[in-house]
Amino acid sequence: MKDNTLFRKLLISGTLTWVGLLAVVPYLILFRTSFLERGGEILQATGWSLTNYTRLFSPAVFSMAMDSALLAAGTALLCLLVGYPFAYILVRSGEKVQPLLLLLVMIPFWTNSLIRTYALVIMLKADGIINALLLRLGLIDQPLQLMYTSLAVFIGLVYTLLPFMILPLFAAFKAMDLQLIEAGRDLGAGPLQTFLRIIVPLTMPGIIAGTMLVFLPALGMFYIADILGGARSMLLGNYIRDQFLVFRDLPMGAAASIAMTVAMGILLFLYYLASRRSGEGHLK
Amino acid sequence: MKPLVSTLAAVLLLLCLAVSAHSSNRVLNLYIWSEYIPDEVVAAFTRETGIRVNLSTYDSNEAMYAKIKLIGSGYDLVVPSSDYVGLMQREGLLLPVDTTKITNFAHIAPRFTNQSFDPNNQYSIPYMWGSTSIAVHTGMIAAESVQSLADLWQPELKGRLLLPNDPREVMAIGLKVLGYSVNETNAEHLQQAYEKLRALMPLVRVFDSDSPKQALLSREVAVGVVWNGEAYIANSENQAIEYVYPPEGFSLWLDSFCIPRGAENIEAAHLFIDYILRPEISAEISTAMGYSTPNKAAFAHLDPETKDNPIVNPDPEDAARGEFLDSLDDATLQLYEQHWINLKTGR
Repeated sequence: MKDNTLFRKLLISGTLTWVGLLAVVPYLILFRTSFLERGGEILQATGWSLTNYTRLFSPAVFSMAMDSALLAAGTALLCLLVGYPFAYILVRSGEKVQPLLLLLVMIPFWTNSLIRTYALVIMLKADGIINALLLRLGLIDQPLQLMYTSLAVFIGLVYTLLPFMILPLFAAFKAMDLQLIEAGRDLGAGPLQTFLRIIVPLTMPGIIAGTMLVFLPALGMFYIADILGGARSMLLGNYIRDQFLVFRDLPMGAAASIAMTVAMGILLFLYYLASRRSGEGHLK
Repeated sequence: MKPLVSTLAAVLLLLCLAVSAHSSNRVLNLYIWSEYIPDEVVAAFTRETGIRVNLSTYDSNEAMYAKIKLIGSGYDLVVPSSDYVGLMQREGLLLPVDTTKITNFAHIAPRFTNQSFDPNNQYSIPYMWGSTSIAVHTGMIAAESVQSLADLWQPELKGRLLLPNDPREVMAIGLKVLGYSVNETNAEHLQQAYEKLRALMPLVRVFDSDSPKQALLSREVAVGVVWNGEAYIANSENQAIEYVYPPEGFSLWLDSFCIPRGAENIEAAHLFIDYILRPEISAEISTAMGYSTPNKAAFAHLDPETKDNPIVNPDPEDAARGEFLDSLDDATLQLYEQHWINLKTGR
């Protein structure tokens, strides 16, 4: 028993040190840097400047942030539309099929997402696999323009992030008592009513968690939009990278990163509020 | 007693010599672009001098710069591009190179030495160079219709044009077509270049600096402003892809050997640079890698295919219109940033 608590203490303090050193400290450095003037060094820092944060509200940067948010929201919606039925099928599938299907969801994780994105290029390009197949079948006589379109960007983002939607939805479906559906049916609910009033509310935690897990990374995955979309529009992720690497304005890049994190934090807080309220609702 | 002391002293002295020789002369920590030097050249250098070369690689100037700036030790030789030579030198990240120790320095053609980013080559010795210019897929558009930068603005190229995903290179197109320098700092000239480029944006299908040959080879775009190494590979895979040096001018890149702050094997670094500058070695590297060498004495040793390929070695008349990218001051960089964001967000 005593050994157990010692082990636990060691484990917890080890984890805390790890998180502290590798997550909290860099974040504090980033936070302090975001209040410096361009070219400022954190060790010789004197004042706190808000210039970088006011620059975030310039029309160009603001529209860029909106574009990024729309793209991420679209990706989350598409993932939900594809992932929801799949998670349902996954839960209803037999004991032999289910592990296999889950494995198929996980396998892409074994390959680096950058490599998978380049693999998509081979599929989508004008002389790529899809176009070659359609031409061979005689369905088209000119190659389709698939690469460097918003369609390609959505294909890439949904393909990369879909597992993050499926897994929480799968957990939510798994926790749902299937007898409730039968009970609803016994009480005279039609299929649509069963779906909207029983299945959706009960899987809501999974829907929200999945949406968060897709939306937040989609904001940062600028390389997919660059490679598949042709980098014609600028996203928040590009902007932050350019500030650090191209324009060497570390404080501005830090400010944009902090702003993005705060925005995400607000979303998570709203999620927390919503889930608490729905929890209270259940109690009443 | 006496023989014992002197033997001990001799042993100690030998040990010291061995240790000092080991630390100052026997190792070289080379930090260079990936796929930028043939392994055989490095092995031959070690065979001849006994200096072991620890080779590490990077794939962007920024990555190398960050490492030198933040860590500041562990490397004896780096290979930054011209603009980063200027920047790193101004920030005190480079140690001077002693050109008197580099006997082969005289082989470098004069137009690569004594550049604005490093007058008198106090800090950098040119290694390889190239250009960023126009590649045309003649299977998709007539070669005659794209011969200058101004031709990029033709409506036939709508949705068929590729530009580098790099603010400096894109601004360079707008600046050169108006007759300004690629290192322009005049705010009004930059504004004019931006206005000019705004009209080009609707034609652009893709911005790519990583692997632009891909889009040309798969016929996604008909014309691309690319780096000559990419054009060289694209051309060797498909002869229809030609490389044009426009009359208005274009930007040049030059990568140079520099000794970073914190280097420990400065002697070995000099020996290595001198070895690379031997005409036959420079020629061997250029042939193996497909990049141009600034070493004029190396030309006699180049195989004819490399020597006569205009993508690798433009004729001097064409090359003279090129201009090396230099680093910019912070204020100018901020103007570039503004214009770049406005171009990308369509303002």
